[in-house]
Amino acid sequence: MKDQVERASRWIYRGVWAVLVRWFRVPEKPPTLPTPPGEEAVSFRPAEGFLRYLKLKFWIVLTLVDGAVLVGWIVVTAALPWLGVILALPALVIAVFPDILAYIAIHLRYDTTWYVITRRSLRIRRGIWIIHETTITFENIQNITVMQGPIERFFGIANVVVETAGGGGRVKEQHGGQIVSGHTGLMEGVSNAAEIRDLILRHVRQTQTGGLGDEMEHAARPAPAAAWTAAHLALLREIRDAAHALGTSST
Amino acid sequence: MSDTRPSSASPAFDPYTIARPDPALLKYYVIVSFLAGPAFIVPLIPLLCKYYTLRYHFDDKGISMSWGVLFRREILLTYRRIQDIHLTRNILQRWMGLANVSIQTASGAASAEMAIEGILQAEELRDFLYHQMRGARGLAPLDAKGAEGTTAGTAGAPSADEDEALRLLGEIRDTLVRLAAREKGPP
Repeated sequence: MKDQVERASRWIYRGVWAVLVRWFRVPEKPPTLPTPPGEEAVSFRPAEGFLRYLKLKFWIVLTLVDGAVLVGWIVVTAALPWLGVILALPALVIAVFPDILAYIAIHLRYDTTWYVITRRSLRIRRGIWIIHETTITFENIQNITVMQGPIERFFGIANVVVETAGGGGRVKEQHGGQIVSGHTGLMEGVSNAAEIRDLILRHVRQTQTGGLGDEMEHAARPAPAAAWTAAHLALLREIRDAAHALGTSST
Repeated sequence: MSDTRPSSASPAFDPYTIARPDPALLKYYVIVSFLAGPAFIVPLIPLLCKYYTLRYHFDDKGISMSWGVLFRREILLTYRRIQDIHLTRNILQRWMGLANVSIQTASGAASAEMAIEGILQAEELRDFLYHQMRGARGLAPLDAKGAEGTTAGTAGAPSADEDEALRLLGEIRDTLVRLAAREKGPP
């Protein structure tokens, strides 16, 4: 019985997914980043724990909302039994229908969230109705924040937020509580937050510039010593020898 | 110029030729305006004005974008100053093959400094911009330009024809050699 339910739900979910891909043009493939040859971009989803974390939140909210609906219905029924009978079906629909939608939405949210990391940059894709892809190079990152709440710690996940220069009223609540804003990249629910943090931090520490496009000042004026090549040096040696010969022969 | 193009872009895609948004953007603007119902004329007129006056110009250092009939606006930015690139597609845009490529620089605003609309090959454009961005330059084969600053040590010996310093040094050497020979030759 449980197997059948599981198989049926999986089948329905695949149907929903197919509709999304075909009719709503949700990209099927994970995002990638262009990389130099010989280097692979790693695309991954949030950790499994993130899905469980979202589901736990879902069950808590479900208990509260459905409990409220039930209590409300009992109160109405106690006061006016005939109204309670009429309202039984609508109340059941109100209690159950949004839950199913929310449950599917959790899975879809999980399945449409992708992170890509290469050695120099990261890309985040998020969203179903509005698909939002953010690309940030490590070179531009100003700071990294790792956030973890007690429940998230229990599930072994954390949120990594990277910020680039600029900002101003940066946190905009959109898409059902997800932070979508410029100058930030949010990688929520990753289990290897420390690794990601170290990878990015190593890169940020190596960077010589402020991350504001200011490295051109160094690049535009190459140090004179660096402009000499082996060919130059060979010629200079010949010149020295010739001058030397001139000097010795004339005296 | 051709060597700065990302190798991943389709051969047909050349950002330097982009000047106008695709006509699909006009359709998108009209549909979006009609979503406002009877008040459609309020968003429609500015959007039409924007569509008909929108101009892009990509060169090898940066982008400029201008629009407006009564109130004109022109935005210019350089690739090097790009902080992050956002590619946003809502469901209507996905149906029509459109996308918003928003570019942010390190200014104080949370909203994007430049939002490029109406480009059908938005992903190619995004990857092109990514390749021009700080930190992504120097990605191996496509980047001959980015190596400019560091040619000296790595590019191997430049031929004497290209390198003026080398040519001048060669001339000095020849003159010196000739002088030395003349000094030595007749007693």
